[in-house]
Amino acid sequence: MATRSSSKSIEGFYKQKKNTTTTKKTSKRKSPKHAATVGSDVTQPTALISHGSLDLKDDYDKNEEVLRQFDMNMAYGPCLGMTRLARWERATRLGLNPPKEIEGLLKGGEVQAECLWQDRV
Amino acid sequence: MGIDGEEALLQRKQSTYLSLDETFEIRKETYRGQQYSQIYFARLHLMRTLLYSLVPNWKPSLPVCTVLELEGGKECIIVGTLYKHMKLKPSILDEYSKERSATPLVKPHNFMHPDDHLVLEDESGRVKLSGTMLLPSAYVTGLVVALHGKETGAGDFLVLEILEAGLAPQIELPLKSREDKYVVLVSGLSIGSSTSNPLQFQLLVDHITGHLGDEKQQDIAAQIVHVVIAGNSVEIPHGLLNNLASKDQSSHSDPIQELDILLTQIAAGVPLDIMPGVNDPANFSLPQQALNRCLFPGSAAYNTFRSCTNPHCFELDNIRFLGTSGQNIDDLQKYSEAKDQLEFMERTLKWRHLAPTAPNTLGCYPFTDRDPFMIESCPHVYFAGNMDKYDTHLLKGSEGQLVRLVSIPKFSKTGIAVVVNLRNLECHTLSFGTQFSS
Repeated sequence: MATRSSSKSIEGFYKQKKNTTTTKKTSKRKSPKHAATVGSDVTQPTALISHGSLDLKDDYDKNEEVLRQFDMNMAYGPCLGMTRLARWERATRLGLNPPKEIEGLLKGGEVQAECLWQDRV
Repeated sequence: MGIDGEEALLQRKQSTYLSLDETFEIRKETYRGQQYSQIYFARLHLMRTLLYSLVPNWKPSLPVCTVLELEGGKECIIVGTLYKHMKLKPSILDEYSKERSATPLVKPHNFMHPDDHLVLEDESGRVKLSGTMLLPSAYVTGLVVALHGKETGAGDFLVLEILEAGLAPQIELPLKSREDKYVVLVSGLSIGSSTSNPLQFQLLVDHITGHLGDEKQQDIAAQIVHVVIAGNSVEIPHGLLNNLASKDQSSHSDPIQELDILLTQIAAGVPLDIMPGVNDPANFSLPQQALNRCLFPGSAAYNTFRSCTNPHCFELDNIRFLGTSGQNIDDLQKYSEAKDQLEFMERTLKWRHLAPTAPNTLGCYPFTDRDPFMIESCPHVYFAGNMDKYDTHLLKGSEGQLVRLVSIPKFSKTGIAVVVNLRNLECHTLSFGTQFSS
């Protein structure tokens, strides 16, 4: 694991890690958080920990990924301020035909009920 | 006439009443920290679905695309929410940049400026609108429209034609084989203010309840089936509100008690609806919730007394009434212009939206899944209270809709109440004065 600290360029805080275990991409999501930690190797400042758990990529599974894609889909409207289930139900009511599997995930499993950005903005 | 036991008592006519205010109630809503983007999304989606169904009849050959899909020079149709960029519109940030002074920075007047321009926005992006077809002075932020035009080299959208939703479909008026039945619409009583004359309102109450005039007058009064008070019934002087701990706290409730006494007289004889207005003790943002029944201990005992929301929608004998206490029209007047207030009312019907400026400049509850101000079904009578003067117009729609537009003046200033005849939607005024003009 190579950390390049004390560098003023983007590599200073953009920690690059070789993906040896999984094939998931880490790049897009990591950089906003690391912008606040130039030169340090704290991966997650405590202020940004949401829901009491560290938001590392291996902490969410493919269910959460599907739900996050649902959150970000603009066709169903803004996601902030509504539970995911309420947003799904609204989309159904408006005739937007959101995928049924989302409803299954939300009503069944132990997934996060609130949207991706809840408590973070 | 002597005492004659055969004289028949005049019976007041009756009509069936159906309240349609459920969509304006916010009791079941929960606030979960949502922002206004949700209501704008709901509005855009519902209006866009509607406009998409109208576009094939309007311009069948042109393609419809989103703002981001615009290609330079190609004629197409885009649908989105209008945003009007106004130079003079007060911004909260000005309070921090200007020096603090005793006078308020914002004075209610018209904020229009020749440099205002319109922007169309949908989920994908926004585009500035140019061209002479679309006059910014007639439009406000918050409308959803369809535009036919093309993108110019400068990145603007040159508007060639505009499509508004138009009047909503209307349930046909029941057949005309009925008798004269009158509905009295009044607003701006402003009891408790220095300009209101208690005798004027007492005269109105006496007329409605049949205590005035001879038999012919009473006959006419017996044909009044409903009374609607459209907002601003009380006016609590502002000076009193600053000093809430003062000894004469009871004088704060004097205007409401006075109103209750008068309303009891009306409610004893006629069904009465009272709507809150800007100056009334109700919540600020639209839809204003019904005034609490505790404020009216006397009148609330009658089942003819109904405290209603603002906006208010109801049906009398299957004739649909829809109206507000005037905040929506006043707000339109600040941000756009028309030849009179009745024209603003006509525009809101054509835009199929009661208050397009909500939540931009008019306070509004942040609904998430619906926009209650959208007009689903065209009313037969559309009224707005607290207007500057009495005015009325019979609007005819393109699909045979017929709407009686009524602009109800402030009673404390003009002494005029409006009467609508349910049989033929004709309108006349009742005017009360207490001075003989020389």
